[in-house]
Amino acid sequence: MDWLVYLIVLIIVIAVAIWLYVARQGDVEVEFLVEQRTEFTLTNINANTAVFNCKVPFVNKGNQDGTIMDCYTRHLLPQEQFDAVELSSWLATEARPRTDGYFEALIVPLNTGETVDVTMKFTAKNGDIRAAMADMVDYTVDIVYQVVGRGELYITKNRMTVTADELIKSLNSSTAKA
Amino acid sequence: MELELIPVKTRILTPKDDIVDTIEKYAKDMIGPDDVVSVAESVVAITQGRLVTPEELKPGFLAKLLCRFVPQKGSLSSAYGMQSAMAVEGEWRMTFAMLMGLLAKFVGRNGVFYELAGEQAALIDDVTGTMPPFDKCIVYGPHKPNDVAEAIKQRLGCYGAAVADVNDLKRAAVLGVSKGMQPEKLARILIDNPFGNASQRTPIVIIKNYAKVAAQATA
Repeated sequence: MDWLVYLIVLIIVIAVAIWLYVARQGDVEVEFLVEQRTEFTLTNINANTAVFNCKVPFVNKGNQDGTIMDCYTRHLLPQEQFDAVELSSWLATEARPRTDGYFEALIVPLNTGETVDVTMKFTAKNGDIRAAMADMVDYTVDIVYQVVGRGELYITKNRMTVTADELIKSLNSSTAKA
Repeated sequence: MELELIPVKTRILTPKDDIVDTIEKYAKDMIGPDDVVSVAESVVAITQGRLVTPEELKPGFLAKLLCRFVPQKGSLSSAYGMQSAMAVEGEWRMTFAMLMGLLAKFVGRNGVFYELAGEQAALIDDVTGTMPPFDKCIVYGPHKPNDVAEAIKQRLGCYGAAVADVNDLKRAAVLGVSKGMQPEKLARILIDNPFGNASQRTPIVIIKNYAKVAAQATA
């Protein structure tokens, strides 16, 4: 029966070795560094709409390359909180600008990252964007992303707060320049 | 007389398209009896509906484990890429190929895994491998590429046709050809990737004057 004991020990040793290999290998870990984002600045305005933009870096701080399969913004500005504007938002990587809101799946090698441009477009319900945004409020925006690496894909998000102050400051500075 | 490579732009092709109809629609007037028509393999596969989203797959234990032994740049390095290969080549074939591949590495021989795992294991493109909107899909290799090439030749009346896998890294493989064509020779002609990158949307390349140049070379 010694051979059976040896076989069982061998199987256990191989299983432990594989487990250690997988554990040591790790996986992708993407994070959007929302605390490092730039302030939203006005990039376009007319009587009815104002468009603001900010940059948010992201990194793969895991141990493996990974892929961001999809990524999008989810702004949380309910009409109960602020009813003077309609808001739409989207993002694109700084290196591959696009305006259709589509996020092209992107490989993020480990210990690297890029930056996304987040765009917020406000449209005044009363036709006057400056008047509509005079009483702007703080609100939150989630950057939602789907990641796949070695293991199962997952969807997660990082949340940032957009302050009324930064929007109004940028809006007013454009008035001053004009 | 010299060979001339003419990329043909199309709209984004989908599983609703037929590749032979598409070539006829976009390139019929440009193709002569001395020309060879080549088409990108991933686009052929897409028109054949040979794609799956990761969300449609449920990676099993073996897929999750085996993908860990594939280098990160490989399409089978994700559990989903590996599961997609297992779905067409079989779990146990892939497992056997991986075991043999690992053992072969100990004696200094590379590539054994792909030799044993089946054709699709080498042809699968993981997510990001193709143009939007298929960048979120895993795309298999084309089905019966020789038949596709023969159908193109018959419909267009050209000298020959080929289904090719070419990239910007100077790697070219011809997966399927019409009767009488030499895959290696066509691969050399296409080595500089005249299909361009995905966003250029030129999945068809006409090799003009192929028959005449070949005749000249023979003479």
